[in-house]
Amino acid sequence: MGALLQLAEVRRHFGGVQAVDGVSLEIESGTIFGLIGPNGAGKTTLVNLVTGYIPAQSGSIRLGGDGGAAELARRRPDVIARMGVARTFQTLRLYRNLTAFDNVLVGMHARRKHDTLQQIAPLPAFQHEPRARLAKASALLERVGLKPDEYGMRRAGTLSYGDQRRLEVARALAIEPRLLILDEPAAGMNPVEKDKVRDLIRQLNADGLTILLIDHDMRLVMGVCNRIAVLNFGRKIADGSPAEVSADPEVITAYLGRQAEKSGAHVPGAGATTIATADRHGSRAGAAAKPSGRMLEVSNLEVAYGAIRAVREVSFGIDEGEIIALIGANGAGKTTILNTLSGILRPRAGSARFLDIDLTVTSPDRIVRHGLVQVPEGREVLARLTVRENLELGAWVRRDRQAVHREIDALSSRFPILGRRRDLPAGQLSGGEQQILAIARGLLAKPKLLLLDEPSLGLAPQMVDAVFDVIRQIHEEGTTILLVEQNALRALEVADRAYVVETGRILLSGTGAELRRDPAVQKAYLGG
Amino acid sequence: MDFFILLFTDPVRFYNSHELLIAQIGVNAILAISLFVTFYSGQLTLANAGFMAVGAYTTVIMSLYLPLPLPVDILTGTLLAGAVGFLVGLPVLRLRGIFLAIATIGFVEALRLGVILNVPITGEGQGLKNPGADPLGGIVPILVSLPIIAYLVWRLTRAKLGHAWAAIREDELAASSNGINVALYKMLAFVIGALLAGYAGALETHINFFVDPTEYSVTRAIQILTFAVAGGTTNVLGPIVGALFLTSLPEIIRQASAYRDVVNGVILILVIIFRPQGIVAGGGFAIHRPHWWPVNWRLGGRTASTG
Repeated sequence: MGALLQLAEVRRHFGGVQAVDGVSLEIESGTIFGLIGPNGAGKTTLVNLVTGYIPAQSGSIRLGGDGGAAELARRRPDVIARMGVARTFQTLRLYRNLTAFDNVLVGMHARRKHDTLQQIAPLPAFQHEPRARLAKASALLERVGLKPDEYGMRRAGTLSYGDQRRLEVARALAIEPRLLILDEPAAGMNPVEKDKVRDLIRQLNADGLTILLIDHDMRLVMGVCNRIAVLNFGRKIADGSPAEVSADPEVITAYLGRQAEKSGAHVPGAGATTIATADRHGSRAGAAAKPSGRMLEVSNLEVAYGAIRAVREVSFGIDEGEIIALIGANGAGKTTILNTLSGILRPRAGSARFLDIDLTVTSPDRIVRHGLVQVPEGREVLARLTVRENLELGAWVRRDRQAVHREIDALSSRFPILGRRRDLPAGQLSGGEQQILAIARGLLAKPKLLLLDEPSLGLAPQMVDAVFDVIRQIHEEGTTILLVEQNALRALEVADRAYVVETGRILLSGTGAELRRDPAVQKAYLGG
Repeated sequence: MDFFILLFTDPVRFYNSHELLIAQIGVNAILAISLFVTFYSGQLTLANAGFMAVGAYTTVIMSLYLPLPLPVDILTGTLLAGAVGFLVGLPVLRLRGIFLAIATIGFVEALRLGVILNVPITGEGQGLKNPGADPLGGIVPILVSLPIIAYLVWRLTRAKLGHAWAAIREDELAASSNGINVALYKMLAFVIGALLAGYAGALETHINFFVDPTEYSVTRAIQILTFAVAGGTTNVLGPIVGALFLTSLPEIIRQASAYRDVVNGVILILVIIFRPQGIVAGGGFAIHRPHWWPVNWRLGGRTASTG
């Protein structure tokens, strides 16, 4: 089979930043091609060039086919989509107010005949097509692992993060693509869910679909891809089989970092490493249990979205100086708990007290002033303000200007990505860079209790290490932390205690080390 | 009160004594639907008053100077409004949100102050007398058209066209990744909206003896927007209910007619606070609880969950 997609010397710069700098690639028909690289390397920009959102400044992008290759550069995105290039988005772009079904139906747009007349005269004879469409939509939902009966009629915006990712894949499949581009399909999923994503990718490929996969989970990328290209600063630094790429010294320094050695621990059968680290932190948990006051007390919390009870009878407490982790599958209600604590959602029943304030009635801004700060899931940065302005806004509630500026400088050197991009609008940062910005902004509020929702989402392995280092450091400086994380292994490593949340209830609790040894937890969330 | 007593005890006499009001409700409902179509595709446009003027003036001028049957005049007025919609849409549809709204206001005012007040055939500032007006006969086409238009627009929103509009409203970039030609579908919505507004304008001339340029100002454009927003824009019933409610309100509260605009304003504010999705929309009869509303005050017997 020939090449389905051919990129030759594609270039694109934004102002002075070379986002994509002369990249040439060839994706063979019927293969899974991986694209990896540090945050801000230009991966998503490359996808945007292929799908026509951003015109390339030079170079050619050709989509192969039976009738010879067609040039994609300078075509409209909808034309490229109709030619059979479908994609998902790193920062989710579902039609949030439409139902899951309608999202998929809209996805079929390009493969659907104009049916205005049939719709105006809904005679029985015309009902065959809409029914076939509905059946196909529910088959697609089923295929990506969303039960149509349960989720089909729910508005896309109310689905959990992982389910929204699945729905995006279903919507992309509805266009019946030849090339499917998946931009971080497994972000925000736990290892077990990631395995399902891997199976889905394999299955789609077995059915003849060519796939371009971008993800930071090396187990996933190395496991499914036939060939991998690595980008760094807009240039291709390596291209080859998974084994070649992961052995490439340049790739290890630029991207994989320490995680390269650690990733052994994720592979089934490498249980020894897991236990060893568990013991190391087991003793740490004991040391941290110094006598201190109760900071947060939650009891019998119940939160509902309309008729759906997302959180039920949840009770837990956090002492000053602890790191507490909430782990559990997507849709378990973890983010709902955090949103309730920070005052964005109001509970239907139960109580939540933080120091001396009642979180169920206090307004969100006042909760922040009292020192409870949330870093939301999915990088909600202020897109039109510069990186620096975003950071300064994080310190809005503080009075000590001097210290804030010192801390901004310190964070900029700790995360050079932010330092370099200081005067760019935050909306122009890559997904991973925005994530780092959101975390840094949360830290600048100098919270007493920091709620971190999926801090490692969409980060390169190297950057995940940096983020967890920062979490440890601010904890040592005296900040109490409530951490929600799909990377359960890492979360349990740093946590003093952890709670396992399932379908809105707390199922288990224990120290990080205990839970990591628990066979049920290993099976369900660690992918052991 | 008399209003309702009459409505329920003697509907026939009610119809006869309020015929003009009913006709006006019908016209306003069609206008609100015309705005709904563009709103459904995510575009906030206030150009409808201008398209209405095109429809109205064309119809009256044709009946003044050409011996053609009235339906031909109305049809021509409607089509011309659609054509003007297309021409206006070409430059204007590159804009989004509030910028589009401002540009369309510019169109409405330019049409009124620049064209209508300066071209002799329109009677300039004096307006035009419509010799063929027939207030009693004019109500029939309005009452016949409204359900047909409502049905057509409802079906359109269920068709491929409507799905594309909804997708564009939700996320233009994602829509283009689903193969939807965003510019084309936006233009379709804009032109259909212009056709409906032109048609409503043409029908309205038939119940009035006079076409007055002040009728087609920004005030009218905002009034149309108010119908749609108060009624709700999730489905086509919303704008109709909004038009019905806000057009008949001044009649219901005749005693307070001096404060008509105040009452209208207060109702609009209440709707926006407690029923942001509009009167007719999803969520049954649920009432939204604003975040500043004290938790233990009950609203309508149930506590609404925040959403």
